[in-house]
Amino acid sequence: MTPIGKLAALAKQQSPDAVLVLTPAGRVLHWDSGAEALFGFSQSDAIDKSHFDLVVPTALHAEEASRLATALAEGSITFESLRLHQNGSLRYVCITHKLIADPDSGEQLILSTKKDVTQLRVLRDAQRIESKFRDLLESVPDAVVIVNPAGHIVYVNEHSLRMFGYETDELRGKPIEALLPERFRSSHLGHRVGYFAQPRARAMGISLELFGLRKDGSEFPVEIGLSPLQIEDTTLAMSAIRDVTIRKLIAQELLEKNVALEKANRAKTQFLASMSHELRTPLNSIIGFTGTLLMKMPGPLNDEQEKQLRTVQKSGRHLLSLINDLLDLAKIEAERLDLAMEPVDLAAVLREVGEALRPQAMQKGIAFKLALPARPLVTQADRRAISQILINLAENAIKFTDAGTVLLTLERRDGAASGPIEIRIEDTGPGIRAEDLDKVFDPFTRFGVHDRPIKAGTGLGLHLSQKLATQMGGQIHCRSQLGRGTTFTLVLAEA
Amino acid sequence: MTASILVIEDDPASLELLKYLLERAGYAVYAASNGAAGLQAALQNNLDLVLCDLQMPELTGFEVIARLQADPRWRNAPIVAVTAYSMPGDCDAALAAGFKYYMTKPIDPDTFLDEIERFLAAG
Repeated sequence: MTPIGKLAALAKQQSPDAVLVLTPAGRVLHWDSGAEALFGFSQSDAIDKSHFDLVVPTALHAEEASRLATALAEGSITFESLRLHQNGSLRYVCITHKLIADPDSGEQLILSTKKDVTQLRVLRDAQRIESKFRDLLESVPDAVVIVNPAGHIVYVNEHSLRMFGYETDELRGKPIEALLPERFRSSHLGHRVGYFAQPRARAMGISLELFGLRKDGSEFPVEIGLSPLQIEDTTLAMSAIRDVTIRKLIAQELLEKNVALEKANRAKTQFLASMSHELRTPLNSIIGFTGTLLMKMPGPLNDEQEKQLRTVQKSGRHLLSLINDLLDLAKIEAERLDLAMEPVDLAAVLREVGEALRPQAMQKGIAFKLALPARPLVTQADRRAISQILINLAENAIKFTDAGTVLLTLERRDGAASGPIEIRIEDTGPGIRAEDLDKVFDPFTRFGVHDRPIKAGTGLGLHLSQKLATQMGGQIHCRSQLGRGTTFTLVLAEA
Repeated sequence: MTASILVIEDDPASLELLKYLLERAGYAVYAASNGAAGLQAALQNNLDLVLCDLQMPELTGFEVIARLQADPRWRNAPIVAVTAYSMPGDCDAALAAGFKYYMTKPIDPDTFLDEIERFLAAG
């Protein structure tokens, strides 16, 4: 080989540029060492394959076909585009397609040379950004990283350098994946390609756990906002990055606190359940034996003995209802009251309540009336809870009424054809003072009426009833006129 | 013929009350103050009804009924859970465990014997 021939061979072997020969359809006939270096595919990988499949990104297939057509028609074309490396990364390349003829057959072929201009592009874009936006990007409180469509870092502000632990210029031209922990890199590549296909401003990973990777290899949780940034003919992606380490720590602490609170709450409910069991057990024999004595099973009683035993019995029962109400309340507070919501025929419940309470009213010599509609009114509720509310309200009405009537009315509000259902419990009792009205549903509120002593009750009945009603999507209202009577209204939705 | 009733109850005062009420009504009453004794009494005597507390130390009412019902003759026996009902679901749990009925404590002496008669009649 002549010295000139040797130099030519050396130049050809060492040239960083890729030289390919393609058929007009894009089949690779020649693939030199420059092409191997630029694209990663070896000669044997590439020969006879379609260069579309090897190095042209799918989105650019149409562009490349039209460039080849131009070269065939006009003899040559030079342009800049993106090409794929074997490892999936994108490079900016300057391409010349030139029409040549096969020396033997005369067949039309394309000589294609490609030069990697990625770093040039990055520098050019960086200069454009700096001249336009530098002051703005340095003044924002977030770390800002700007990336080109090939995924190379074009620009980072000072915040980013500090956050990721790099020196100036170390990051420029690096793939953005360098700032991500290894395990996120391949999936990030997919996200990035997707983003450039449809660039728009959005928050990234609202529900994802995202992490940044510092130069020293440590990780930190981040939150990222993305927006497209148009610089002349290029759409870049700007990400504003926030280190959320402290927020995550606080969230974690809150979560742990919540778990602890929930545990404490469960323990409280469990405690109340066993407490209630322990309290009921002695009450069983207190109420039981008071009952057998009053039934005179062991023998006769004198009047004073009977009177005192009735007091024991009443107090025992009061203690029992206190325990029951407290337990119910605790269960509501712990939101553990298991309501079985089902369609409930309200007239049927009212009839049952009426049957249960009429004897009490008769004993006091007051009238007890039900006003029920001709057609059934059905609501979605827990039957036991509805019954508990109505018994509580009606018992109160009887308790506080010395003469007159307790009237239970079931109807649609304002007599309408559909809509909310009302159950009214009206009494002709002494009424409640206006200033006390808004306190009737508070726990442990009991009203002495005028000069009369406070009637027996736990002070929890109305509070519980209101809570039960609310849990079923209903509400209890109270109206009263001193000296005339009181009306409690339970409003429920129609089923 | 007088019906025979076994009461299994670990609270002495409650046991005394149930025994008193049942004996006064003329039933033959066997009393057991813990689950193990109750189990033994149940297997040794010819009974018409068993009243069994649920919360007992060592052998609970649930364990007593599980052991009794290991014997097919006890599968459908009238065993009543007497429980200081405290949480929703307790009664359902008793019925699911095989108790045919349940009574909640404190019992009402006015209606207790009527209920017992009802259980006996239903078998």
